[in-house]
Formats: sequence, structure tokens, C-alpha cells
Amino acid sequence: MALDLSMPILVVDDYQTMVRIIRNLLKQLGFEDVDEASDGTAALARLKGRKYGLVISDWNMEPMTGYELLRHVRADEGLRTTPFIMVTAESKTENVIAAKKAGVNNYIVKPFNAATLKTKIEAVCGA
Amino acid sequence: MGPMAAFARDARSQPSTPSAMVRELLDIADYIANLRDAIALLRANELTRDRLPMVHEELGEVVAATAGATNSIMGNAEAILALPESPGYRAAVEAKIYDIFEACAFQDITGQRIAKVAEAMSQLEGRLSRFSSAVKARDAAGVDEAESTRRSRNEALLLNGPQVGGPATAQDAIDALFD
Repeated sequence: MALDLSMPILVVDDYQTMVRIIRNLLKQLGFEDVDEASDGTAALARLKGRKYGLVISDWNMEPMTGYELLRHVRADEGLRTTPFIMVTAESKTENVIAAKKAGVNNYIVKPFNAATLKTKIEAVCGA
Repeated sequence: MGPMAAFARDARSQPSTPSAMVRELLDIADYIANLRDAIALLRANELTRDRLPMVHEELGEVVAATAGATNSIMGNAEAILALPESPGYRAAVEAKIYDIFEACAFQDITGQRIAKVAEAMSQLEGRLSRFSSAVKARDAAGVDEAESTRRSRNEALLLNGPQVGGPATAQDAIDALFD
């Protein structure tokens, strides 16, 4: 199945620079419809208002972390199937296992490059 | 055990003779004099008035400088990507690249600021260490409530932060968990 380059993607990170980097990488991969949110709370509000094909989220944010966002998404009947990739500096195995148990589809450790992001999006969204 | 505690113990456990009491009081006077010297050497007023605010200020400047430089570098890179094919393409790219070089100068300034912060922290560490030894201080039991709440939240949400020396788990090992 080919990647749907027109699918809307939500990027969640409290560092505007990181959002900009991911947005540029997505653009390089051909994705143009990218929205952003600065923490889990803002992301949930966006997810309630629009159906996204993918969420790419940081872990460490205030007031709602990416881990909490993931759990909210998986607990919500209307959002639970939304593909979710964690992109984070949290690299302890306990973090990865917790995220996997919570239902994350894939996990990328910062710093990363376009090739890694592309591989993970293909693995999650099907290519 | 300090002389104050020893005095309190002795006062409870045995009747003191006048000469013993004088000795104890002299010990306490010495202890208080040492304590005053140790507090003076700590220079707590200078720390709270000058050094610690400087640390906050310098780190704030570092954050602002890195953010500014990153924005400049990314802005110029995005502008290069958006340049149209034209006879002036090379000159336009060169101009943007020189702007990127200029933005990279932040590293020198932030390096100097961080060195100042490190020096202030080193001073603070040294003074606290000397003070602690001079007064034979022991850490009190119990933890500050706000600190305790913060620790509990970090533990519950697994907020470990970046690891020193690179990721604790390599991307390949993480990938294996998702295969």
C-alpha cells in the first residue's frame, strides 16, 4: 500500500524548532498537510476537531506529556486507531516498553534523520 | 556530635561542677565563633544577590541565543530550498550561506556564558562543601513537599530526560522491540 501523502499529520512538540525540523522533513518526504500542537492538551483539542492520519509526538512536555496524550488517544473510542509515533530524547528501555504497552506504533530517539522518519512512517502507515 | 549536643547530654546525665560548666561554655563559644566564620565564608548574601541571579540570566541568554541562531539557520536553509532556478541562483545561495556562517557565531558567545555559569557553580559547590565540613552539617530527614511532588510526577510519567553520553537504548534495539 502506497503512502498517502495527502493525509493530515499532527506534530506535537513544545520546542518550536523541533516542530519546524519535523515539518521540513515531512515536506521533504512529500507530506504537505501538517498541523502542530505544543503539548498533549493542545493536541487532544486538535484531534477532537479533525481526523489525522498520523500523530508524531514528543514525550517530555508540560502540562500534558506525550505519554499521557498517547494514553488518552488509545482510551478514546474515536481516536484509538490513529497511528502514533513517539519522537523523543527519552531513550531508556523502560520508556520504550511503557510506550509500547500504551499502544504506540513506533518510537524514534532524537536526534534522527529523514530516512529514519520515513522508515517509521512507512512501517506505521503502510507502504 | 557537636559541643551543643554534648552539653545538652551532659546537662541531663550528670551534675556539672562550675569548672566543667565553664569548659562546656567555652566550647560552645568556640563552636559559635567557628560557625560565624563558616557562615561569613559562605558569603550567602553575595551568592543570592549576584552569583545565582547571574546564573539565571546567563542561562536565559544562552537559551535565547541558541533559539535565535537556530531560527536564523533554519530560515536561511528554508529560503535556499525555496529559491527558484535562475541566473542569480548561485549568488543568492552564497548570500544565505554567509548568513548561516554568521549565525553560527553564537557558539563562541554561549560557550563563554556557560563557562561563567560553570565557574559560579564551582564556587557555590566549594563554599557549601567548606561550610558543611566546618559545621559538621548532616542533611535533614524528609524531602521538600514541592520537590517530592515533582519527583513523583517524573517517576509516574517516566520523565527521565536525555541520557549523558547519548541514548540509553540505541535505535536498533528499539526497532527490535517493534519487529
